[in-house]
Amino acid sequence: MTLYNYTLNGAALWLMGFGLIPALLALFTARSVHDKKTHYYWLFSAFITLLGTVGVFGLQNAIAFFIAWELMSFGVAAMLLIENKNAESGSAVLFMLGILEVGAIALILAFLLLSDHGSNFSFSNFSIYAQTLSNHEQLGIGILLLIGFGAKLGLLPFYEWLPKAYASGTGATGAISSGIVLNAAFFGLMRGLIAWLPASNTITLGVIVVIISVFTAILTILNAFQQLEWPKLLSFSSAENASISVMLLGVALLFQQANQHNLASLAGIVALIHLAGHSLAKGALFIAADGVYCSEKNYLIAQNGLLKKFGILFGIGALFGAMSLCAMPPQIGFVSEWFMFQTLFHGFYLQDLSARLTLIFAGVGMALTAAIALATFVKVLGVGLLGIDNKPSNPISFTIKIAVFILGLCILFFSAGLFYWINALQLIAIKWFQFNSPVVMHHGLLLVPLSAHFAFISPTLLIIFTPLLALIPIGFIIFNCRTKIKRAKIWNGGLQHDHNTATTSLTFSNALRYFYRFVYLPKHEVKREYRGKPYFLKRVSFHQETTPIFTKYFFNPVISFVNSLSNKVRLFQSGNLNFYNAVIGILFILILLSVLF
Amino acid sequence: MPLWTLIGLKEGCATLDWPEKTGKNGQEDVLGMPRFNPEKCLTNCTRCVDACLPNAITRDENNNLKVDYGSCINCQLCTEVCPTGAMTKSEDWAFGVFDKKDLVWEKNSQHKIKKTEIKKDFKQSLHIRHVDAGSCNGCESELIALTNSIYDMERLGIFFTPSPRKADLLLVTGPVTYAMHDALLTTYEAMPKPCWVMAVGTCAVSGGSNGGGYACNQGLENILPVDVYLPGCPPNPAALITAFQLFLGKIQQKVSGGQQNDTL
Amino acid sequence: MKGVIEKNISPNEIVSMCEHVYAQGDRMQMAYAWYPEKNTAPEIIYISSIKDQRPFHAYRCQLNNDKKITSLTNASPLLGWYEREMQDLFGISFFDHPENVKLVLHEGVQSEYAPMDPNYPREKLISFSRQPWQLAEMKNPELQLLPFGPVRAGVCESAEFQYLYAGESILHFDERLFFKHRGMEKKFEGLTPELGAILAQRVSGVGSVAHALAFSQAVETACDVEIPLRAKQWRVILAELERLYNHLHYLGHLCHTTTLKVGEAQGKILEEQLKQLNAQVTGSRFLRDIITPGGLRREPNIEPVKYQLKKLQADILKYCNQLNNTNSHIDRLIGTGLLTNQVAFDEGATGPVARASNIATDFRLKHPYASYNQNNFIIPVLEAGDAFARMQIRIAEITESFLIVEQTISSLENGFIFREFKTIPLSEGLGWAESARGGLFYAIHIDTAGKLARVKIKSPSFSNWRVFPFTVDETNMMDYAINEASFGSTVAGCDR
Repeated sequence: MTLYNYTLNGAALWLMGFGLIPALLALFTARSVHDKKTHYYWLFSAFITLLGTVGVFGLQNAIAFFIAWELMSFGVAAMLLIENKNAESGSAVLFMLGILEVGAIALILAFLLLSDHGSNFSFSNFSIYAQTLSNHEQLGIGILLLIGFGAKLGLLPFYEWLPKAYASGTGATGAISSGIVLNAAFFGLMRGLIAWLPASNTITLGVIVVIISVFTAILTILNAFQQLEWPKLLSFSSAENASISVMLLGVALLFQQANQHNLASLAGIVALIHLAGHSLAKGALFIAADGVYCSEKNYLIAQNGLLKKFGILFGIGALFGAMSLCAMPPQIGFVSEWFMFQTLFHGFYLQDLSARLTLIFAGVGMALTAAIALATFVKVLGVGLLGIDNKPSNPISFTIKIAVFILGLCILFFSAGLFYWINALQLIAIKWFQFNSPVVMHHGLLLVPLSAHFAFISPTLLIIFTPLLALIPIGFIIFNCRTKIKRAKIWNGGLQHDHNTATTSLTFSNALRYFYRFVYLPKHEVKREYRGKPYFLKRVSFHQETTPIFTKYFFNPVISFVNSLSNKVRLFQSGNLNFYNAVIGILFILILLSVLF
Repeated sequence: MPLWTLIGLKEGCATLDWPEKTGKNGQEDVLGMPRFNPEKCLTNCTRCVDACLPNAITRDENNNLKVDYGSCINCQLCTEVCPTGAMTKSEDWAFGVFDKKDLVWEKNSQHKIKKTEIKKDFKQSLHIRHVDAGSCNGCESELIALTNSIYDMERLGIFFTPSPRKADLLLVTGPVTYAMHDALLTTYEAMPKPCWVMAVGTCAVSGGSNGGGYACNQGLENILPVDVYLPGCPPNPAALITAFQLFLGKIQQKVSGGQQNDTL
Repeated sequence: MKGVIEKNISPNEIVSMCEHVYAQGDRMQMAYAWYPEKNTAPEIIYISSIKDQRPFHAYRCQLNNDKKITSLTNASPLLGWYEREMQDLFGISFFDHPENVKLVLHEGVQSEYAPMDPNYPREKLISFSRQPWQLAEMKNPELQLLPFGPVRAGVCESAEFQYLYAGESILHFDERLFFKHRGMEKKFEGLTPELGAILAQRVSGVGSVAHALAFSQAVETACDVEIPLRAKQWRVILAELERLYNHLHYLGHLCHTTTLKVGEAQGKILEEQLKQLNAQVTGSRFLRDIITPGGLRREPNIEPVKYQLKKLQADILKYCNQLNNTNSHIDRLIGTGLLTNQVAFDEGATGPVARASNIATDFRLKHPYASYNQNNFIIPVLEAGDAFARMQIRIAEITESFLIVEQTISSLENGFIFREFKTIPLSEGLGWAESARGGLFYAIHIDTAGKLARVKIKSPSFSNWRVFPFTVDETNMMDYAINEASFGSTVAGCDR
């Protein structure tokens, strides 16, 4: 049993590689948002985090893995704390670490259970040992793994640490946390559910995974839509995308149970593609958020005309990132979303009725999240980057612009060449699913869900032909323009107004906040300050928020229970020597009695 | 609960046949501009000049009476103080003209009626943007009455639009207060060309009784190029419809030298 | 000043005077300034009513040369706008005014003399270069501002509104009026009373009779003229005819905002038929140019009032009944634009708006004028204070109007309709009338030559526009149009 056994399989390499691209770019761009001292400490923490992720991807020993896992969490916490040293961010990071600890305990339990009573902590042994376990034990381990990795991925009810924690950090930290760190957590979960646990005889685990992840996706994207700041919104969106991939894992489990290995393989590969695309796109938008911060000194999603100010490189990168996250062709987000729906459509191959219903439910849930995700990223791009630029802003560094641009190009490149890149996953597909789906997921330049007769898309062809098609209307414009374009001032009732009349991120989301108020439980309060009698208004201030339901109904009661319990247990710490003697005495008597009787 | 659809159907059609067919125009007994009979006018008598609030009636340096109907507010006071009946009450309210000079009665005036042709494309469908530049609300009341079932100007192809970007005709009421000046000009600039301007009500034509002073201009003069003038305080709906028809070229201008000539 | 109980007070006594008025359970009515002589400090005149007393009370306060005085707005919130108007137009400074921003003249007006100062060059247009609108500080960048106006959609009077909202409900509402400020009060200066009456009818076009009535009564009071009874009775008939067509317009417009299409069409038809009746009675669809100081200028035609009005009465009452039974229409009105009794009282609401919020005030009954003391009618009062209550009040007033016309016609006195009189130099008088929208005041001062020296107009819309914003905060965007229509105020009357 060597602690240092290190191998990277195909999936690990894939996820790590795609996570490293934004992470490394973030290391450079972070300099623009940090002052010198913070930046060096931050770099150190980032290094620790990356070291941890490298370990998580490749270490084959449970103990070593666990050390790397904790190192990763520690690194992220350190990055966040270094960037923002106030009490609020401290409590947010503490909350995050608390929840991650819950996950860590679940992981420890799972590893212990899989380690054959602690005799063999090597991962290669886990899969062998797991086959000897009963169905119930396998289900239990599956749930423990789900909790363990889900705490990091933000599965329900754990997603509530995300907004506050991310909000206390910068976009660079976000690019690392939502990129490589998220990928590492997902890799752990995927390997656990697919490689360690054998194909289950029951559909229970698969159904549980699907249902939890679909609900997570819906709740997180609904929450994302209501956010008013870049990092909070993007963090919720990361949880949503992670839960989409987790859902695909659950689908893979269901297909495995039904012996549909080709479909299981399809689901698993799609999950990997989805997260790869997500790291690139999310990285682009997190770094773009840093650009907003450099310019406006805050992370608010507000119409400040930034797209115009930052130039075309930044614009293309941000646009491609947003497009990918709201699944617009020809970006990779569209490809993975399309593949995801195609996978769900194959649900009719399943025999079990509940499994079929689960897939239908998943399809419905995914449709809802896709719609809201579209609205969310329209808000991010539209309200966050557009607007009239009649206020001067600070310039942003070229590093940020080029980083965003590079990531945008990567997205396009990835999508255009997916028919080629996908072959990198052939080995892992065979190893984990016993079926080489990547080779049948492309057909020439087309991408197909195992068969071109079912459906197909081709981002490659889209990217080639759409610009060519655009030449026709461009030609019309150039050659047919007879009258000079009249540019006139905006008509607004006769008087000019400044850009406070533009849509804000709150008003953009308000209709949905009202429509889904049973989910959001929104609160709003208006405060009016008067001069003298309540007729002469001096100031109006307005505060609104949505209620984080799990924090209110789950975590807070648990926290208060623990507090009250500890308050009661405190009585034992009376400091009175006689009391301690009395307790010891009573314990001796009890032991004596237990031996005698 | 009343079934309004049935109520409406039972009421039938309230719309006038006029102006498409001759008939009642809804303005029975409505007084209009005072009619001036110069042969009855006494020289050196200034009763009507003193009684005219907007100074529409003046005596020039040769002691000739000059009546500017563009400033007349239809208060009928001159007809009540005139000792000889030179100023009489009349039902002449269809005073829409293309040129303000057509509204002036002067001795030995040589002015000829000028006609303006607007593009054929607009004749069947005219969209009007109304701007209230400080009216007393009387003109608005009559303009809103144009949309009721009795006058129903939409059957004549005339519509009020909410946006100047979709308007052909800018209809201004009020003497243009200092505060509405910039808003009025912005509205005009927002209209796509070609567009026209109509001054409705004596205030917009010349200031009338409300123009001038510290807060008002004297109507649209020197502010916007006006194509049709319609004095009246306020001009009744039939006068408005007649003015629109004049503008659209469907009828001839009846007023010249300040007199309405119904035979034209 | 005639027509009131007058008292001279010093600037130090105004606060106790105000407290005394409110302690008696009634409120201030208005306040205005004027220059008794050129190049001396102006005098402020405060008008109040005292509960259950018929005459109004006038308190005259001569200012010192520095033109500064304490603001009464904290004691009597409704005086807030009157003081701001005096600030803008007379250059008087009010200490401790809680809303010390421009009201009547917009930000950006520059002038050496205040416009109402006798030194201001009479025919000079004030110089103006628009500056931003000063508003209460808004502390949340997440809210959206929706400006509307001054050129509004459709055929509307010009006024600017600004909504602070987050999508559905209006969190804060601001209104900016006085785009239509024409400086009418200054135009009266130097006119004869006869011409003044003609000008008064063009201050607010749909309130011509009420304005002519209040003005003429002010002149008649000042010059000690007792007009013939027939003239008074005719004035009552004309005033009620004006009330009728205004209320029908209001009902039709209210149906427009709740999109009850046939109801709107029917209301507008009835309004048009009433206006045509007006033309048959007087020659003017707005009943203009008949009322003059001394009586009436000519005998109106009584036939249409006797016969056509009866037929219209049946149609109108049937229409009102149908509206009252239309649940979908009433549903939109109930609970919309709630105006509490306290706010209505404090902020000076008047007319049907006040009566719908449990303030039983009506000049026709509490301070009778013309021949109203011979009529037998009630003031309808409701407590709900919402748009439905305001509609119900107006429907009840329609019924009362028909009753009053019928009573007056049947008791119409034979006789003259005009009494000649001479203006008394340096006389002053207060006249008032209850227009369709509420209580209207005219205070006139006559100069040494017998011409008008100062005319102060307090229109009911001025009071009601002040009240309106308090019913809009924290209501729905969808209900705003209904609420505004339910108030039924004119901008021309407010802005003058």
